[in-house]
Amino acid sequence: MSVLDTPNPRRAESAGQRETAEQGKRPASTRRAPRGGSRSSPLDRTGTGTRIVILVVLVLALLWTLVPLVWMVLSSFKPATAITSAEPSWSFTPTGEHYAGLFTGGNELIPYLWHSVAAAGLSAVLSVVLGAPAGYGLARSEMRGKRHLSFWIISTRMAPIAAVVLPLFLMFRQVGLIDTIPGLVLAYMTFNLPFAIWLLSSFFSDLPPALEESALVEGCTRWQAFRHVALPLTKPGLVTTFVLCLVFAWNDYAFALVFSGPDSQTLPIAASQLVTQAGIDWGQLCAIGTFVVVPMMLAGLAVRRWLVTGLTLGAVTGE
Amino acid sequence: MNASEDVREPLKRRRNGAASRHVGFTGRMMLPGIVPLAALTVLPFLTIVVMSFSDVRLLGGMRLDFAGLKNWGRFFTDPDMGWFWLRTAGYFALTLGLEMVLGVVLALCVWRLVRGRNLVLSLLLLPMFVAPVIVGLLGRFLTDPTFGLYTWLLERIGYDGDLLGDTFTAFAAVVAMDVWEWTPLIALITLAGLSAVPPTLREAAALDGAGRWQTLRHIVLPSISNVLLVALLIRAMDAIRYFDIIWVTTNGGPANATKIVPVRLYETAFRFFDFGYAAVVGLAMLFASIVVARLFVRMLDRKGLAR
Repeated sequence: MSVLDTPNPRRAESAGQRETAEQGKRPASTRRAPRGGSRSSPLDRTGTGTRIVILVVLVLALLWTLVPLVWMVLSSFKPATAITSAEPSWSFTPTGEHYAGLFTGGNELIPYLWHSVAAAGLSAVLSVVLGAPAGYGLARSEMRGKRHLSFWIISTRMAPIAAVVLPLFLMFRQVGLIDTIPGLVLAYMTFNLPFAIWLLSSFFSDLPPALEESALVEGCTRWQAFRHVALPLTKPGLVTTFVLCLVFAWNDYAFALVFSGPDSQTLPIAASQLVTQAGIDWGQLCAIGTFVVVPMMLAGLAVRRWLVTGLTLGAVTGE
Repeated sequence: MNASEDVREPLKRRRNGAASRHVGFTGRMMLPGIVPLAALTVLPFLTIVVMSFSDVRLLGGMRLDFAGLKNWGRFFTDPDMGWFWLRTAGYFALTLGLEMVLGVVLALCVWRLVRGRNLVLSLLLLPMFVAPVIVGLLGRFLTDPTFGLYTWLLERIGYDGDLLGDTFTAFAAVVAMDVWEWTPLIALITLAGLSAVPPTLREAAALDGAGRWQTLRHIVLPSISNVLLVALLIRAMDAIRYFDIIWVTTNGGPANATKIVPVRLYETAFRFFDFGYAAVVGLAMLFASIVVARLFVRMLDRKGLAR
């Protein structure tokens, strides 16, 4: 459901459309039809002046957005002298030395990588596995106090990290979870689990209950109706939730800074450790940055269609 | 009401089937998620409340000594604290304001784009997925006084100071980094709102003789105002959470210019090991974020979307 006053065709369609999706994807053009139609109307004939302004804004925005990223990736392939030259150098002989340097010598990136994958991956999997039934329960529940429960869930998601880190640090110290992967996973669950519950409940409430009701009439138990009807229809929701949980945990620095040690440090920590009193190895930093950033960009763009729903916790739906 | 009715009441409810089994099922479904969440949030919350009334000692075995209202008293009388909150408010107002304005402008432009829209949008979204710590480190790289690309560019246009070394420019730089990362989010949400504005609405306005600017001002923007509010609240809730960029760029400096409350809290706890006082600051931040979350939920409620 959307906060928009207008009905949202995409979303209304999506539940029913998913079944037809197997028989053949509806051509994108039919879905876009209304937008294409509106463009032919006279008011959309954008004047040349406006068009130039729009182009200029977009070019500036693209430069502002992409230059740092491109510069980072370029620098990760530059020889050290080209990186620290006073004049920015655009032509250079590419080298893989910084990437190689991350895995040899004093630096051994593999453990960091493994910690990142384990902590972020596990917390994302657990969040979805626990969040899916909980989100479904929340969506279909008619109990009193449901609003309070919802509010509690969202406020745990939004709690400032700094405020959560403090008590968790004492608790983890007490039970020996500092510098362990389970400790990090638990820490990430403090924001990923409420996120998953809330977001999945919003995906589930968009499913018409009639589908599950007819499954019940056919003799399914409620669990079977959830497992075999609701769950498959919410696949995009599950994937989106998983990806976003993964991104949040993978990108975390504040928790890892406090809870991790030599046995659990993650990639963002590895990146920040390249900043030393003696100076910064920018080549390696750019390499590590590329390493951290690229997988999450790919994952994020893979779920772009559901990104708005995901990032607004289901409050806005759309493209 | 007499006792026997009290006894019969739950029985009756149990007997009238569907409704109660319904609650039972959804309740059971929620348990595996809600119970760990409760353990992960209620326990820390109680702990932080206790901490705020204690002197926390870490060395030689952890100990919490009751300190009464000492930490709280300090919080309300510390003159520096007021400045940190003011600076935080300024930082939020500036980042959120810039992100909202730029995000909406960007969304309006992308909306008008006919060809290459998906590609442009995808490229514009990339910063959102960059770990904030990388954003900060990359920012340092670009503004390095001797070989930073942006330092070089700024020198071309006549500025040759140390960006992160001067109080004013350091503040501007961390704001810019936050804006770089999160403007795309606002643009994305706004674009979703714009795509849902029915074309007929704009056509009607055009038929009534409304100009382009008038249509935008009186038709388009009002019809996406709810979406804009969601964008603002979502961003506000996240802004309270993150501080990684500042932590790895300026660390609160120079001369406290970028020391917003979360940075101050980290410093208090993990550099000065004053956990009791940090707990009070943490509770105050928690309160602030709950107010924003409340607005968010209230807004969903008003639209009849309470879940």
